[in-house]
Amino acid sequence: MSSTVANEGGTPRDRTAGARGATTDARSAAAPASGSAHSSSLLLEAKSLHRTYRMGAVEVKVLKGASLRVQQGEWIAVLGSSGSGKSTLLHILGALDRPDPGGGSVLFRGDDIGSRGGRARDRYRRVSVGFVFQFYHLLPELSVLENTMLPARVGRGPAAWIAGRAAAHARARELLDAFGLGHRLAHRPRELSGGECQRVAIARALMNRPEVLLADEPTGNLDAHTGGEILDLLAQGHRQGLTMVMVTHDPKVAERADRVIRLVDGRVEDG
Amino acid sequence: MSSDFCDFVHAVILRGAPACDRYHAARVYPFLLVRKYLTSRVIPLIAVAAVALCVALVITVVSVMTGFLEMVRTSGRTLVGDVIVSRSIQGLPGYEQIIERILATPEAEAAAPIVETFGLLKMPYPFGEEKSIQTVQVWAIDPERFAKVTGFDRAIWWRPPESDAKRREMAADDPRLRLPQDLAERTKRMVGANGRPGAIMGIHVSIGNRRERDGSYRFIDPWWMPTQEVTLTLAPVSSRGRVGETRDLVLPVVNEFSSGVHQVDKNRIMIPLAEGQRLLRLNEQPLVDRDAPPLADGSYPVIGTSPARVTHIFVRAKPGVTPDALKLAVEREYDRLAFERMDLPESMGRLLPSSMISINTWEEQMADLIGPVKREREMMRILFSIIYLVCAGLVLSIFWAIVAEKTRDIGILRAVGAGRGGILAIFLQYGVVIGAVGSALGVGLAYLIVTNINSIHTALGDPAPMWSWIVAAALAAGALHACIWSAVSRDSILWALVWAVVALALGGIATALAMHKGWLMWDPRVYYFTRIPNSVDWITAGITSIGAVVFSVLGASVPAAKAADIDPVRALRYE
Repeated sequence: MSSTVANEGGTPRDRTAGARGATTDARSAAAPASGSAHSSSLLLEAKSLHRTYRMGAVEVKVLKGASLRVQQGEWIAVLGSSGSGKSTLLHILGALDRPDPGGGSVLFRGDDIGSRGGRARDRYRRVSVGFVFQFYHLLPELSVLENTMLPARVGRGPAAWIAGRAAAHARARELLDAFGLGHRLAHRPRELSGGECQRVAIARALMNRPEVLLADEPTGNLDAHTGGEILDLLAQGHRQGLTMVMVTHDPKVAERADRVIRLVDGRVEDG
Repeated sequence: MSSDFCDFVHAVILRGAPACDRYHAARVYPFLLVRKYLTSRVIPLIAVAAVALCVALVITVVSVMTGFLEMVRTSGRTLVGDVIVSRSIQGLPGYEQIIERILATPEAEAAAPIVETFGLLKMPYPFGEEKSIQTVQVWAIDPERFAKVTGFDRAIWWRPPESDAKRREMAADDPRLRLPQDLAERTKRMVGANGRPGAIMGIHVSIGNRRERDGSYRFIDPWWMPTQEVTLTLAPVSSRGRVGETRDLVLPVVNEFSSGVHQVDKNRIMIPLAEGQRLLRLNEQPLVDRDAPPLADGSYPVIGTSPARVTHIFVRAKPGVTPDALKLAVEREYDRLAFERMDLPESMGRLLPSSMISINTWEEQMADLIGPVKREREMMRILFSIIYLVCAGLVLSIFWAIVAEKTRDIGILRAVGAGRGGILAIFLQYGVVIGAVGSALGVGLAYLIVTNINSIHTALGDPAPMWSWIVAAALAAGALHACIWSAVSRDSILWALVWAVVALALGGIATALAMHKGWLMWDPRVYYFTRIPNSVDWITAGITSIGAVVFSVLGASVPAAKAADIDPVRALRYE
């Protein structure tokens, strides 16, 4: 397999990933950019997260000191009832949201991502993290291939895009072929089934070879059979070294993870 | 400075700057999304259409106004030359010497003497004793010199066919086939078929000519002027302002002219210079001493000659000489001559200094006509600039709706690493594209309208053909059927409503076409000219297009900023 420019071109980390990828043809399409399978080093850590939302005059405390440590290569399922703050936790881990001021921190490889500026956080989401959502969240105007390539486009200027377009295209095709969507490249999301949409969403999340996959109820909108297929796909990625944090309310889905933690009343209880 | 602000600055101001660690290059995804949004949605097409219509409206209106102004200027110059020396009533004595001096300057190309007055013209119609009488402006001219200054020979309307081939091309009832072969020569000399001095009348002076929609004229038998005679009555006015005894002159009509300026063509008649001078007593006269004892025959002794006079001298500049430069030269020569003649008595040709007569460029002479047209054009320009605000408002409201519709997309883009600057760039680029495409279409539309405006005007002036309103009515009936079918069979209120609106619109068009009996929008009695100006004012087109793009971007900027500020988490949850 070709694994040259899944990530943004030009950074030392990317170049390392590219060199490694070029010498390890047997690696799966889902493999992350760095870290070996099931390494025990700490990759992501949430420290006593607090998050409060204001809904009109009412303040809703969603997270009340949630803490979490994610080892590299680990698959963690966060189990909790509806409204327990699972998605909020995931959004904060992925730098889509911030904890309350003074309300804890998120460390990625020891760096506090909350203290970084907007552009660094954008880059973190683009390079280090991949999101998978319950409702797929594909752009309806883009084809399957374009949706998958979107993270690669987002990270590049015109010159870099021209230079890396062929490689990005190859990477997207590789992922989509691996997910059984090689014949659907030109199709629009409205022409796909729910399972196919979710597979495209996973391919998109893996496009830039993230180190962590953050999945928010990835099977929540699918029937049991299709949901099982999606979990198989995620499990395959995990086996190949992908670190995953998956949010679910379904204990059966959570069982597939290495470790299950419960989010109760805004706090984490190890399962 | 916050990082987000840096992103904003980078996205908006430094877009396209060389890539470096701190300021990375412009992203490519906005281009992709703008293209996709433009080609897969109807709403942006509405914005493009709105911009195009606004641009076309402004360009069309200002182009017609600019063309009108140009026509006023061009015709003014064609009618009176570049510089006009004038002294009404008393006239300019010794004008031939003035002309000689003027023509000796390097600035002057040609000069022509004119006597201007007003008179009563008795027309040959109707039948019976009581003929139609109308007031006319009379220009007594030397046709040869007048043509050199004004191009009057090009305005002569009735010309016999130049060759047998052209004669064969003409319709059998074309009046030009009946024109005598010596007409051109007689027109040059302004003499009638009987050899008497004749008149050349503006083509709208008589009722005998009917203007066709293609701009040609047909005469109404038997009142075709080149076969008729008219009687001109003039009243001479003495240098002391006393009106003398009126004089009548029967003039065969030699030809007619069309200057293109309706007011001129309707009111002006040309007669030979000598006849005008004679009727107004501006010709050379013996000067008698009434204080001396009468001679044997009862007359008084002649003590000199009062030179012939004209009321105007029209001067044409040499190519490359501006009217202002020519005016200075004419003033200089005139004053020099006036100085030389200052010792003569007034009756024998003393000239007043240039400051006491009128020496104007054609633009100054027609300032009372050009000035209001200029001001009217500027007023139209300002009023129609309000359309820019309409344009910006339309784009703003449409983009507001687009941003609301695309809120979840914005969340998705943020989730895959897009920054706020990138989101801002998507919608600003979107505004630029809509403004640019709308402007281009607007310029094209305006070009089509302006260049075909006379055909459109002619079509509007005719009753609509029967087939047009029958077709419109049939289409309205079809739309009504579709409306009923949508309501009953498809059970769709939306489509029923759409078809109802289409049926109403087509029904309205059919009714309007059926009732349309012809509409004269451009009345030459109001707008001076018989044709609507039909060239695009490209400077206005350029400014309008740039303005439309700028205001489209301004309209897009508020929704774009709103989009950039959207919280990605809320955006992802947006339904």
